[in-house]
Amino acid sequence: MQHRFNVNGDEVEVTLNKTDGGWDWEGATINQHTRGRLHVRMADGRTALAHAAKVGDVWWVHLDGHTFALERMEPGASSQQHGGGLVAPMPGKVLETLVEPGDEVQAGQALMVLEAMKMEHRIVAAHDGTVTAVHHQAGEQVPQGAVLLELEETN
Amino acid sequence: MMKKILVANRGEIACRVLRACREAGLSTVAVCAPNDQGTLFTELADEVVLLEGDTIATTYLDQAQIINAARSTGTDGIHPGFGFLSERADFAQAVMDAGLVWIGPSPHAIEQMGDKMTARKTMKAAGVPVIPGEEVETEDEAEALIALKEAAERVGYPLLLKASSGGGGKGMRAVTSPDAFEEAAVAARREAVAAFGDGRIYVERLLSGSKHIEIQVLADRTGTTVHLGERECSVQRRHQKVFEEAPGPTMNAELREAMGAAAVAAAKAVDYEGAGTVEFLLAPSGEFFFLEMNTRIQVEHPVTELVTGVDIVREQLRIADGQPMSCGDLHLRGHAIEVRLYAEDPANGFLPAIGPLTVFRPPEGPGVRLDTGVREGDEVTPNYDPMLAKLIVWAPSRNEALERMRRALDEFVVLGTTTNVRFLRELCDNEDVVNGATTTTTIEDTWPNGWSPMRSEALVNAAMASAAAAESFGMHRSTSSSGGAAQAEGPASPFATLSRRYP
Repeated sequence: MQHRFNVNGDEVEVTLNKTDGGWDWEGATINQHTRGRLHVRMADGRTALAHAAKVGDVWWVHLDGHTFALERMEPGASSQQHGGGLVAPMPGKVLETLVEPGDEVQAGQALMVLEAMKMEHRIVAAHDGTVTAVHHQAGEQVPQGAVLLELEETN
Repeated sequence: MMKKILVANRGEIACRVLRACREAGLSTVAVCAPNDQGTLFTELADEVVLLEGDTIATTYLDQAQIINAARSTGTDGIHPGFGFLSERADFAQAVMDAGLVWIGPSPHAIEQMGDKMTARKTMKAAGVPVIPGEEVETEDEAEALIALKEAAERVGYPLLLKASSGGGGKGMRAVTSPDAFEEAAVAARREAVAAFGDGRIYVERLLSGSKHIEIQVLADRTGTTVHLGERECSVQRRHQKVFEEAPGPTMNAELREAMGAAAVAAAKAVDYEGAGTVEFLLAPSGEFFFLEMNTRIQVEHPVTELVTGVDIVREQLRIADGQPMSCGDLHLRGHAIEVRLYAEDPANGFLPAIGPLTVFRPPEGPGVRLDTGVREGDEVTPNYDPMLAKLIVWAPSRNEALERMRRALDEFVVLGTTTNVRFLRELCDNEDVVNGATTTTTIEDTWPNGWSPMRSEALVNAAMASAAAAESFGMHRSTSSSGGAAQAEGPASPFATLSRRYP
């Protein structure tokens, strides 16, 4: 059975082979233990109990003291992320919008200020360019990953 | 006699205080902002008063609303917890003016310790060593700059400029040479005026390689003032403590006695009442200097409770009621360590994270204590501080306490929200932590380019195989896809049936 995951932007394919009551991949053997838990034998011979839960498309796995968040790419889904847009690194509130569409900005210039959990976070231009769109204004709540502004690179 | 207590706080510390009240046979009132309805602490209180407002300023910081809540519920006393209104002298006064008991030190003591220049002078007068430096009281900016520059020459470089009303690193500047002085002083003053409306600045020598050691004190109205030994809290990131322990790994009985006596003298100098913490810098030379006094219960108080056997919150209730404290002579037993579990991404600059606590399974077993304000199924929101829990362990020796902490952190399962659990676990293997040689810069020194988890290829592959197998087994049809439904289906937590409360 084949699954694809998005691991830090890279697409990783996992093709499971059926074994005696479980699944096998790259030397790891996984068996169902009880609901929410898996019995895992790793390629290096160690065994551990893993906890797994799915939130949205993301499988959260706790294994051997480590926690992994693995986004499962549903068949046909695209890995393309928001083009040249600047996205919110965390959910929060827009405190201030410092630019308007049409503004010429320089690399490193602050474009927007976000606030979350008592922390301020500046959205800065990664390169020189022209602001082509501002999608959120001061006072608006934005989810993580929301496209805040769009910037066209100066050639 | 107090019979009913209102807790003017939320989350983990509200739970801690509400439980202590329950144990003491006191009825309780919680106040809660609309976005905190249904959270754990509101379930631990006998009554809940809903605060009206959609910001912290209009809810947990709204003095009039909280005092009205106390009045309308027939409350006798108010416990402020930490943060929020806990170190506001005007609130302490307002509580007393309303005829209620303020569970904390007098407004006068809060004021004296809150203004850092005043605190320095008070400590010097009481014979408590302060960091070599000078206060400049002049309000006039030009005159103050000249006086500061002269003071800096006498104190010597490198030095620190600090705002008298400062806190959280605001209005603070390190200056390494005279050329950089003027610019730093102007900037520190501007920042202090903007943040605190008070531009007074003082000069202190910069002591590098120092340890952050704090002494817990307790004082009651019968005139007894004692110290409960030290805590070491050197391991910090962005001035935020993450790893605290008691006793201090490099402490000895003689130094404890000397620092304890200085802390008691500090408390007595302001007629202190209740629980407080005197913070010191301990220089590599063995000299120690007064830093500040926190006039409230502290986040890391559990490590002191575990090694002294004193219930500090229970003592606060007793003392505020006019009774003598119940603890006797100081006897330290074993070693305790606390780590702070944050909803944050340590591999991404410690950026705060949010999400559902789809699975929240704290460790258990001997010597393990968990102080938290959340449980499985809750949502972590961006509205408040991202601290999810404090995990505290006790063991007979420091080495065994570290071993127990490693085991406990390995057992801690949080799925649905990114946390710093693995960072804390790797911190337990850090050479300086193992040797007890931590300083306030240990984290930056160890991970100058940021932290990322150490994972073998076998582990990463096994995790991906697990996720794939979980999908193939159809486990997502038995586990919930959103946090809220977790209790109803109860896939992983046997605690889900216990009124959603941890034993």
